[in-house]
Amino acid sequence: MTWHKLSRKYHKWLMLFLGLQFLIWAISGLYMVVFDIHYIHGDSLVTKNQVFLQKAQVNYPLAKLYAEHPKASNVALTTLLGAAVYRYKEGNKNYLVSADSGKMLSPINETDARRIAKSNFHDTKANIRNVFLIEDEPPSELSSRHLPVWRVDFEDSTNASFYISVQTGKLVTKRHTYWRIFDWMFSFHVMDYVEEDASNKLLFVTLLFALLASFFGFVLTYFRVIAPRANKKQGSAV
Amino acid sequence: MKLIRVLHKWLSVVIALQLLIWLGSGLFFNLMDHNKARGNAHKVSAKKEISINRHRLVELNTILAQYKKPVASIKQIELLGQPYYLLNHTQNLYPHFYNEYTLVNAYTAEKRVVDVVMAQAIANASYKGPADVRTVIKVSPPVSDFLKEQNTLWQVNYNDGLNTSVYIDAGSGRLVGHSNDDKRFADLIFKLHFMDYGIGGELGSFNNGLIIFFALITLLFCVTGVIWIVDLAKKGRYRFN
Repeated sequence: MTWHKLSRKYHKWLMLFLGLQFLIWAISGLYMVVFDIHYIHGDSLVTKNQVFLQKAQVNYPLAKLYAEHPKASNVALTTLLGAAVYRYKEGNKNYLVSADSGKMLSPINETDARRIAKSNFHDTKANIRNVFLIEDEPPSELSSRHLPVWRVDFEDSTNASFYISVQTGKLVTKRHTYWRIFDWMFSFHVMDYVEEDASNKLLFVTLLFALLASFFGFVLTYFRVIAPRANKKQGSAV
Repeated sequence: MKLIRVLHKWLSVVIALQLLIWLGSGLFFNLMDHNKARGNAHKVSAKKEISINRHRLVELNTILAQYKKPVASIKQIELLGQPYYLLNHTQNLYPHFYNEYTLVNAYTAEKRVVDVVMAQAIANASYKGPADVRTVIKVSPPVSDFLKEQNTLWQVNYNDGLNTSVYIDAGSGRLVGHSNDDKRFADLIFKLHFMDYGIGGELGSFNNGLIIFFALITLLFCVTGVIWIVDLAKKGRYRFN
């Protein structure tokens, strides 16, 4: 059998099994390159307003914080809902304390979680649809290191969710429909439908066959597009 | 059906090379050693605990009074065994986005600029390789080893076999990361996979015009291929014998 015939046969047969995956690669790849990654990461859902610290707000000195919480580490002074607050760590746990009075503000309750989510959301008019407390078994889109969190779902066209840490009141992550689809597309692109890890055997085997099938495709391109034209040129030159 | 076949044939000419690059680089990602690709061969993993004399710390109210530029947050951090306050004037969602800082000695309230000596010392503290520093250069974004970084960095280059470079944020003293020839090779393969040549978009992004164009062509190519398969199947051209 000639290379031309051989390639036609194998390209036809291999692509019967691989054609769908090629289509999936093309669709998922297109999706991922078309949507701006910063939009996908939901960075545009977060308001860019800077809130600055005022000296008058800080009436609980650092020395007192260390005296009352001697194990505190990673101390930071910042603002939350317009008030000055300290954040610090003790071992693996995070705490939030008023920088005005020293009052312990963590864990954050639902009302505060709602206010924090709204104050961070880019669309000031959007309403909140749902709020849940997630303490264990996080959804796949949330890393367990952030637990416990309040999940705040907005009533907007992208089904945006903000995850607010119960311990720090921080916006730890956010998701929306297009990011959720992106995660999906990625898992189909790398053929790992659970861990989204590109180092898997299914992808390896599929890629080997895909390279083989494409090689036969290139041979066909050569015989049907390039060779006939090269021959013609040669013919006319003689 | 003729149109489908003609399209498939001609589109294959356009995307042949890139298709080979996509599949080949895909195979590389599938097989690559992730630890090597991170460029951390000579990076110190454990952080040393240091003791701070809390009684010597300057109160934050004093700092706010002394530094007039509006401050969004003050973090107490440690660099080279010394406590510092990191004042953030332009706070962004992530440290690698553009941020504006003042670094202040937490014992004396004096401003501290991350100069070449300090950058090199921070880099050395994170480096466990065998070699000495060759050069230290201040670099502005885009920095090819860390294209996502939007801040000015110190690049500390080591004279080792992997050509390790350590990057320090010039504003905050933050260790951005290590890079070396293994990581640079993996980055090159990513560049090829993402067609990230700065055509129709910024460098360091897979959201560029070139790849969007090729992705559209490829989708059309795959759709015509699948239609062709269905047509062959309908005509009974898939038979075992």
